Amino acid sequence: MKKKNGAVTITMDNQTYQVAPGITILEAAQQNNIEIPTLCAHKDLTPYGGCRMCIVEVEGMRNLPTACTTPISDGMIIRTNTAQVQSVRMEILQLFLSEHTSSCLICEDKDRCREYMGTIRKVGVTTGCRYCSNDGQCELQDVVEKMEVKEIKYPIYYRNLRVEKEDPFYERNYNLCVLCGRCVRMCQEVRVAHVLAFNHRGRETVIGPAYGRTHIEAGCEFCGACVSVCPTGSLTEKARAYEGKPDREELTTCSFCGVGCQMRLLVKGDRIIGSLPADDAPVNGGQLCVKGRFCITELVSGPKRLLRPYRYFDGTEAEVTREAAIATAAEKLSDCAPDEFGMLVSPNCTNEDLYVAQKFARAVMNSHNVDTSARSYYGRGFNAYLDLMRKAAPLSAVREASVILCVGLDTRFGRSVVGVELRRAVRRGARIITINPREHNLTLIAEDWIQTIPGQKTEALHKLVELTGKGASGARKGPRGVSKELVHAAETLAKAESAVILVGSEFLQYDSSAEILESVRQLAQNTGAGVLPLPAQNNLYGSLMMGAYPELIPGGHAAASTKAYGALKKAWGLKGKTVSGGFNAASLGSGKKLKVLYLVGENCPVPAGEAADFIIYQNIYPPGERFHADLVLPAAAFTESDGTFINGEGRVQRVRRAVEPPGDALPDWQILCLIARKMGVEGFDFANVESIHREMAGLVDGFKSFKKPARKPQAYRSTVALDVPAGKLPPAGQVNQKYPFMLSASITEHSHRGFSLSDWVEGTKPLFAEERLSISPADARKARISDGDEVIVTSRGFERVWPARIRPEQAEGTLHVTLYQAQAVNPNPHPVKMRKKNV
Amino acid sequence: MKDKDYSRLFAEFEGVEADLIPVLVRIQERDGYISEEAVRRVSRFLRLSENQIYGVASFYPKFRFTEPGKKSIKVCMGTACHVRGGLFLSEAVGWQLGVGIGQTTADKRFDFQRAGCLGCCTLAPVVMVNEDVHSRMSVIRLKEILEKDD
Ligand code: SF4
Ligand code: SF4
Ligand code: SF4
Ligand code: FES
Ligand code: FES
Repeated sequence: MKKKNGAVTITMDNQTYQVAPGITILEAAQQNNIEIPTLCAHKDLTPYGGCRMCIVEVEGMRNLPTACTTPISDGMIIRTNTAQVQSVRMEILQLFLSEHTSSCLICEDKDRCREYMGTIRKVGVTTGCRYCSNDGQCELQDVVEKMEVKEIKYPIYYRNLRVEKEDPFYERNYNLCVLCGRCVRMCQEVRVAHVLAFNHRGRETVIGPAYGRTHIEAGCEFCGACVSVCPTGSLTEKARAYEGKPDREELTTCSFCGVGCQMRLLVKGDRIIGSLPADDAPVNGGQLCVKGRFCITELVSGPKRLLRPYRYFDGTEAEVTREAAIATAAEKLSDCAPDEFGMLVSPNCTNEDLYVAQKFARAVMNSHNVDTSARSYYGRGFNAYLDLMRKAAPLSAVREASVILCVGLDTRFGRSVVGVELRRAVRRGARIITINPREHNLTLIAEDWIQTIPGQKTEALHKLVELTGKGASGARKGPRGVSKELVHAAETLAKAESAVILVGSEFLQYDSSAEILESVRQLAQNTGAGVLPLPAQNNLYGSLMMGAYPELIPGGHAAASTKAYGALKKAWGLKGKTVSGGFNAASLGSGKKLKVLYLVGENCPVPAGEAADFIIYQNIYPPGERFHADLVLPAAAFTESDGTFINGEGRVQRVRRAVEPPGDALPDWQILCLIARKMGVEGFDFANVESIHREMAGLVDGFKSFKKPARKPQAYRSTVALDVPAGKLPPAGQVNQKYPFMLSASITEHSHRGFSLSDWVEGTKPLFAEERLSISPADARKARISDGDEVIVTSRGFERVWPARIRPEQAEGTLHVTLYQAQAVNPNPHPVKMRKKNV
Repeated sequence: MKDKDYSRLFAEFEGVEADLIPVLVRIQERDGYISEEAVRRVSRFLRLSENQIYGVASFYPKFRFTEPGKKSIKVCMGTACHVRGGLFLSEAVGWQLGVGIGQTTADKRFDFQRAGCLGCCTLAPVVMVNEDVHSRMSVIRLKEILEKDD
């Protein structure tokens, strides 16, 4: 045999192999298809050597080394399957099993039972015992099977630990735990979240957070990475318990934020039963956040999904057929003048949906009146935000940067895959600076935490710009009114070899957001740092490139440009004039009332009666209590349609249909096309998403191939400015005796198609805690408010009631609330007083 | 404990991960136990999560996580004592005081621990109250001890 460069020769089970040096015996065996049973080893984790299932014989070594931790060496002679090895393994396995309540593992009737599981009865049940939620997917089960265990010879020792069900999304039954430590290693090494640890010792050892706290209290991100690696049923996803193995998987892109994680949807029959990270995608590197990991199943298969179209009049809802619904929509729209029409389309839709939606407005309705909810989300700072997108660095910049500045970023639940990268960066020696009014999940790893105080010290960024600007070096030693942290942070940034600035959601709804984002831009300029804007909307970039705004047309060109729009009209074969009605999402309800408002995956941000005479609402869930739509059309979720998204770095990524839409639901583009065709307009007979994509490709750069989308990040290039509210706002004022608290508000970053994920995914309610007033413990004590009490918050011309949420991280004298979209506090932040209701 | 009590204590250390055990030892010397507050402070000081700290600390039986009572009741659970009714005694203590193992009564008079062999097996079953060994214990004598005024 010819020796490969640097390869070493080993003998395993009487065969010689050439393997790369430095690998473990286990890896060498796996590469050569030799099976060694394992429990604690995992490809993504460092070897641990805890379970001892993988012991082998190595000539010249005393005892039996564990294959997963022992590196090979040249000439090593290994036996993986001798009688001695087998009997020791069996002994170890027996010890495991004596602590593992699992009658199924050794049941005599196991084989026959499987065969006859499905019986003919009048009810759809299977016979046979199902004691473990993980049955059929348990690695311990596999090992037992392979080693042909027939009986458990030791007395059963049941630890009788309480099954922990109090946290959302997964439950923990440590009676089934084999203490392999995979979850601990995952949480500590890979996620670097440090929620799980081995507690106590010996027989008492249990896994969990400090003081037996719940995972919510302990700072868990609910990323589910621990659940994924657990070989047994001790960690079980609640929604997937007892589901068994999925039939197939479909690769897709997450639609809950601009990171755009690649994921595998697990499909069983015609249902989505779960989602797992795709291995090694450059965007998310095998990780997800709570939204991608746990929210999809519940969101897309919720019992309240819209299945049939209905009309609403005289206070009742009446189901109609799809044909009738399309006909009604066509009739109402034919009757509507261009400036009486308005459309809001969700920046969560695919590019293809967005493209068809804006084409519908322009080509069918002859109107530029199309907009997205991103306008109200970014408000006054939208243009400044676009400026940052024009400078956007790729996500990989975090992996290389030596200094990382986080502005209003909290990665516990949103974008937590970026948080993972940040913590890894710290390990390799990068320095983190975080600017945030509250203690949050990055303060522990940050070298400096610059605490802003809403309404008082939000100019921290401005100071940083000054301190890093030209000619600032002289003044650096503590100018007046500048904190130590700021000076230190400025120095760190100025000296950084490579810096990046990550922008989170905290300050985006402040009245001064435009100035804050402008400071970020200047700071980046002063220090040569890259910027990662990390949009909360998964396809914000796409919505801009597709022209889903009155000011923008496909390709990101200006709608007002005669040349660009002329070319588009030519491509579409349009003749008439396209009217611009001064419409946008922020001004809805304030100007002239519309005749028809068409909501494509959006909610009505103002009372329906003020917005339009007739509202067409197309979404995956009904509008619920918020408002009544006159015509409701069921749409397909992102798991039920094909298309592409563009993530925050400008990568075009595929979305794939994993299951069929339920009931009468159709993808947004298809419904739009049906209505357009019913109205007799040409140019809407797309056979599939690919044909839309082909039409788009002629108009938008970077959309060449549908099958293989552009994988390279690409900063936003359009230079068109959007029409955002300008002018001076009335000053918010300072806290005083009458109004002693500064209240800041943000719009939830966890929204999807016009509602918050917590509207439809129960488990996220305690995590996202929207519509709850965060109060510092000291302030709560003084005002005699306890957790959950209703609190009345008043200022000049403003009164709201929210339940209290007492948070140690909230600074004294400040209050914070996260709201659903379009109910923001105005001005923001501003001084208020509060009192407990009913006292 | 106030901010300055902690800053004074932390001033003795560099603030690196290796300080964890020595810091905890100092805190236990000072407070008699490791409170949740202390873990929170140490977490900020050493940049380790509270869960990490607890995981490490709880491995060592010498650290306690509940405030000690005035009297510490230790029931021996060694083999000899076990055979002669240690478990029963331990349950009796639990009933009498209304607390579980490792806990302290609300009035802070007693805390309740279990111990491995205390080295006087011939006198089994053995209960230790603070530093005093009470041998050949019975539930009745135990009750007397617990009810005796200090
Ligand atoms: S869900 Fe994630 S953060 Fe929470 S314990 Fe598991 S690995 Fe750690
Ligand atoms: S919970 Fe699962 S992954 Fe964690 S140690 Fe136990 S068996 Fe292993
Ligand atoms: S980080 Fe964003 S893209 Fe990734 S799983 Fe979470 S919500 Fe989805
Ligand atoms: S797999 Fe090697 S010790 Fe567990
Ligand atoms: S067993 Fe109790 S003193 Fe030895």
